[in-house]
Amino acid sequence: MARQRSLLLLVLILAIAAIITLINLPIRLGLDLQGGSQLTLQAQTTEAVPQITPDKLEAVRNVVERRVNALGVAESVVQTVGSNQLLVQLPGVSDPAQAERVLGGTAQLDFREQNPGTEEQLAIEFQVQQELLIEQAQLELAGDAADEDAIAANQAALERSRQAIAELFIRTELTGEKLSNAFAAPSQTGGGWEVGLEFNNQGAEEFAALTRNIAGTGRRLGIFLDNELVSGPIVDVRYAETGITGGIASISGNFVAETANDLALQLRSGALPVPVEILENRTVGATLGRDSIERSIIAGLSGLALVLVFMVLYYRLPGFVADIALVVYALLTLAVFALLEVTLTLPGIAGFILSIGMAVDANVLIFERTREELRTGKTLYRSVESGFYRAFSSILDSNVTTLIACAALFWLGTGLVKGFALTLAVGVGVSMFTALTCSRTLLLTVLSITPLRKPEYFCPNLSSSNPQAKATS
Amino acid sequence: MKLNIIKQRTLWWGVSVATIIIGFLAMLLSWQQFGAPLRPSLDFVGGTRLQLELVCARTESCDGPIDPAQVREILATEGLEGSSLQVVGDQQNALSIRTTTLDVEQREALLQTLEAELGDIDPTLIQIDTVGPTLGRQIFISGLTALGAAFLGIMLYLSFRFQTDYAAFAIIAILHDVLITLGFFAIMGLAFGVEADSLFIVALLTIAGFSVNDTVVIYDRVRETIRTNPGDHINDIIDAAVNQTLTRSINTTFTTVLSLVAIFLFGGETLKYFALALIVGFIAGAYSSIFVASTLLAFWRERTGNAYVKAAPPEDAEPPTDPSVPTI
Repeated sequence: MARQRSLLLLVLILAIAAIITLINLPIRLGLDLQGGSQLTLQAQTTEAVPQITPDKLEAVRNVVERRVNALGVAESVVQTVGSNQLLVQLPGVSDPAQAERVLGGTAQLDFREQNPGTEEQLAIEFQVQQELLIEQAQLELAGDAADEDAIAANQAALERSRQAIAELFIRTELTGEKLSNAFAAPSQTGGGWEVGLEFNNQGAEEFAALTRNIAGTGRRLGIFLDNELVSGPIVDVRYAETGITGGIASISGNFVAETANDLALQLRSGALPVPVEILENRTVGATLGRDSIERSIIAGLSGLALVLVFMVLYYRLPGFVADIALVVYALLTLAVFALLEVTLTLPGIAGFILSIGMAVDANVLIFERTREELRTGKTLYRSVESGFYRAFSSILDSNVTTLIACAALFWLGTGLVKGFALTLAVGVGVSMFTALTCSRTLLLTVLSITPLRKPEYFCPNLSSSNPQAKATS
Repeated sequence: MKLNIIKQRTLWWGVSVATIIIGFLAMLLSWQQFGAPLRPSLDFVGGTRLQLELVCARTESCDGPIDPAQVREILATEGLEGSSLQVVGDQQNALSIRTTTLDVEQREALLQTLEAELGDIDPTLIQIDTVGPTLGRQIFISGLTALGAAFLGIMLYLSFRFQTDYAAFAIIAILHDVLITLGFFAIMGLAFGVEADSLFIVALLTIAGFSVNDTVVIYDRVRETIRTNPGDHINDIIDAAVNQTLTRSINTTFTTVLSLVAIFLFGGETLKYFALALIVGFIAGAYSSIFVASTLLAFWRERTGNAYVKAAPPEDAEPPTDPSVPTI
């Protein structure tokens, strides 16, 4: 009895913990429920780039990520998939067409020369941009939905500032294709890091000409990626006669290893004109997503209600116990979703609702077995015990086969499918616990209450089929 | 209620075979029409689907339902004559259009023309699905691979838990359920334009994983009955085992179908046919467990001269007694 009481306490604590978890830790919703765009991009091979290596894919990811950030979508995700694909998630994006246009282009890196007489203006614009970036970071940290307008306004100001900076520079012939490599290296002159550049032959000549023009003037060399200034070094006066020759240069400044690597990666990705193609676009409007959530809640609750009613009608007292276990099951499963940070998609919800129906299967097996044992004339207590004991192997086998199907779905399936497989698998796992431990403990507790210890509550018409059963209880 | 499982097996088999043949015919017919056994969704063949609702629909201030002929004309001017089109929604103020794969510019052009002709489109109610043809193939192949992997996994597990012939007939039962679901959706595709999308493959996999449950329950009982009545003929053992487990076979499927019915009725357009596929597959699964897998096993054992099994002595069939628990 002591063991049951502590188990009962455990179930109670778990249920309460689940409720607290669910209140404090909202379940993440997929794009099909909260609205937004999910794009699959594929890096295309070209003559210059016959194969997409992991390095190159990483460079493309960097470009795409920078563009996504420029779109100003909060909580966006860019990840690599397989050998040549990228998955981009843009929650709540208001203009999917603009996003597609921006993401679909090839990265353009070029080197520009600052216009004479704009030094002061550039310093002011830098100042403005810094403030805007700080502001942006703070707004995104606050992450409140109410601030969406503020973020958008700030984003627009940033865009204007980028544009203003770009206007202070004049384009040259020197583009990213002529940059053969860019890398981060420890600084030769002392501590700190620098970024090395290597140009091909033509690039080397053009770079020499460009640096000769601005050396010692205080004007900057503008390195632009997608029309955005990523670095603006000045050129030392000692290069004023010949420019930087030999096609090798290094940018030094206040770099640490990380920032030097970042810049080198940006330069490399610009040096690598890999076009990307949009393979897939799944966009769902925000209101449509909300409608889906409402529908799913109705479907889930009515599914649960149907199963609850059926169990009580058919299995009586144990059915009621199974119902309590089922409600505990639903709470625990949702809490596990929240804890594992499962992203709930529409198919994922279907998996969960389906698992509600499957979760009582174990109880059906157990209760049928219990009835059978009662009919053979066993006592109530032993019938319940052997119901649980003997049904176990069937329950295990049937759950394992479902899990095998889930595993196949999860490893080989794509995004949408994975959500379903994961929720169903979590559901099956939790149901093993609730059906076996939770309902068993509850049922044995019920058996300790004398007025409830009547075989008719477990198996209607028992007395007519087997008069002994009553006598022995 | 007691079913004569073995005696009437030709009837049970006949029903299954007839259903599967009808399904195959429907798939053949589909093949002629769509070049695939089922009407394929854009998930597998690529394309663009736009679902949109007019702004006036929610406020019920539209001038009237959308005229499909007008939309068809717009599609023709955009060079999209072959597209399929459906006017949906309570007031017929929503559209579902499926075209060949459109890029951003083509799609925006189409949307602009539609807005100009029909009225403003609510951007928060739009749904866009574009799948490139190459990706469609990729989804299809990975779906089939997953299905194959699941079959193999279940087969291996069952061979490990039971004997090989049990496992083989369980797999035949799963195939039976998958074929019936395929046939049903081939008919649905021909008659009502229902498409098979990637969720349909998910449904097939789930059917494979779940429908074997009932078979396992019956097999479990067959094994137990063989242990307790080692001298009995396999036909009697199967008859007894199926009848003893009949209620639970039906009830486990019934509770699961209950939750699926809720999804079918209230879950919305995306999940409706997914739930339907599962309902059909699970019911077929219950049927095949009760009537097909068991009778085939008996038939096979009889044919191979193994009708009487020398069984191992019963393992401890009683639950261990917990000394701390008083017996009533």
